Amino acid sequence: MYLYIQLALTGISMGMLYALMAMGLILIVKAVGVLNFAHGQLFMLGSYLTWMLTYQLNLPLWGVVLCGIVVFAICGAAYMFCVYWPLRASSWKVTVVISTLGASIALEELVRVIWGSNPLTMKPILEGTIRIGTAYLSYQYLFIFLIGGGLMAFVYILFEKTFIGKIMQATAQDRYAADLIGIPTIVAVVCTYAISMCLSGTGGWLAAPLFLVSQSLSSFAQKAFAGIVLGGFGSVKGAIVGCILIGLIESFSVLVTDRYKDAIVFAVLIIVLVVRPTGIFGEKIAEKA
Amino acid sequence: MLKIKDLHAYYGPIEALKGIDLKVKEGEIACLIGSNGAGKTTLLNAISGMIKTSGTIHWDDVELTRMNCTKIAKMGIMHVPSGRHVFPGLTVKENLEVGTINWRGPFGAPKFKEDIEVVYNLFPRLKERENQLAWSMSGGEQQMLAVGRALMGRPKILLLDEPSMGLAPVVVAELFEKIVEINRSLGMTILLVEQNAKIALKNSQYAYVIEDGLITIDGPADELRNDPRIRQAYLGKLAEADKP
Repeated sequence: MYLYIQLALTGISMGMLYALMAMGLILIVKAVGVLNFAHGQLFMLGSYLTWMLTYQLNLPLWGVVLCGIVVFAICGAAYMFCVYWPLRASSWKVTVVISTLGASIALEELVRVIWGSNPLTMKPILEGTIRIGTAYLSYQYLFIFLIGGGLMAFVYILFEKTFIGKIMQATAQDRYAADLIGIPTIVAVVCTYAISMCLSGTGGWLAAPLFLVSQSLSSFAQKAFAGIVLGGFGSVKGAIVGCILIGLIESFSVLVTDRYKDAIVFAVLIIVLVVRPTGIFGEKIAEKA
Repeated sequence: MLKIKDLHAYYGPIEALKGIDLKVKEGEIACLIGSNGAGKTTLLNAISGMIKTSGTIHWDDVELTRMNCTKIAKMGIMHVPSGRHVFPGLTVKENLEVGTINWRGPFGAPKFKEDIEVVYNLFPRLKERENQLAWSMSGGEQQMLAVGRALMGRPKILLLDEPSMGLAPVVVAELFEKIVEINRSLGMTILLVEQNAKIALKNSQYAYVIEDGLITIDGPADELRNDPRIRQAYLGKLAEADKP
């Protein structure tokens, strides 16, 4: 019984990590119409940057959080100007996709040049474990749960309740009309990339204590993609639900096998897609951003 | 006053506008009629800065030709595109609110209650559907919303691209009543681009005919309505006689 609670909590927390990435991915897809294949690398970059802030600049926790947000936002904007902006007028959209693929390699190598290829360790926000009956759960999972949930609520409020959020939504929904009514679409796109990087980077920061800071963190993107497809491509809500499901499947597959849990995740994904090609929430919520 | 002189526009090697001269006086409705592919939408896109052109476009004494689309919108030149282009996932009210970006900037928060009141008075149906998502509205309502959203930007001139497209005749008639009302009660200058020549000529003061990237005929709308060339080509009066 307690084991199931533990598995459920870890699963949801891992799902939250995937969801943070997936939200950023969807926001970018909505804003510029192109999938960002370097998203896993942005996640990894987030973990390295926070490692740098913590251990190389020796900032306290609140300093890491504040500087992290600023650094992530700048990185997101810089990423946009390097990878998307020069190619925005290209008549073949795949050009941008290829440029994101190139960026993924460039980012991994950049990180390797700066911090080397040996994995780095990062201490969790709070050390220790919480006891649930006979099961134990590291505090970090609870932090992932809380911070991830908080960020999701923040993004929801930002997009649905604030003016700048509506501007971003409008730009994502109809770029041409947005230009015509005077929306500075570049501001909207920069904000979208900055938010997207903040979400991924925070994910990287939260994941680092559990998985070590290394280049292989970027493979988390596969699970985020899986979550997006499972939930029904194109909606933020669907992606969140899909990612949490992926996290749960992954976590509970430990009951059956330890070595093949990734295989189980993708097998479930394939089965769902055979039965429902649009994903679980495909048609229902695709209309709203 | 909007003044366009010798305007050329290209799509790759194809010349879409071949030297357009056109004027819209303050407070009047001018219409531009022409068939599919004549260059009507291209001309509007050129005015609103969406495509690169050669030639000059002036609004009063300011030259718009080299400005980007955001700046041109800020000058008060508001283009309502054909096919309406409302923001589908935003509600009616949010669509209208986003329209205020033109004068408030992305981070400002001034009040726009009076602006929205003007739009709701003009189109009471938008008030009834305030909280409905834009995609779920009928074509006529979406067109009203597109015009209303443009009005929220406090325009000096409205460029309306094919407002009648895909709408039932009853709805078109109602819409044109509103367009005339906007012109009369708000003193709005309007450049109306239409394929439906009959209703466009009926509701405007001055008219231009565009054919294959060139203005071929222009004059007061009343005169053009009785012009045999226009009657033949655009109003279909002689076409009926040709039928067996």
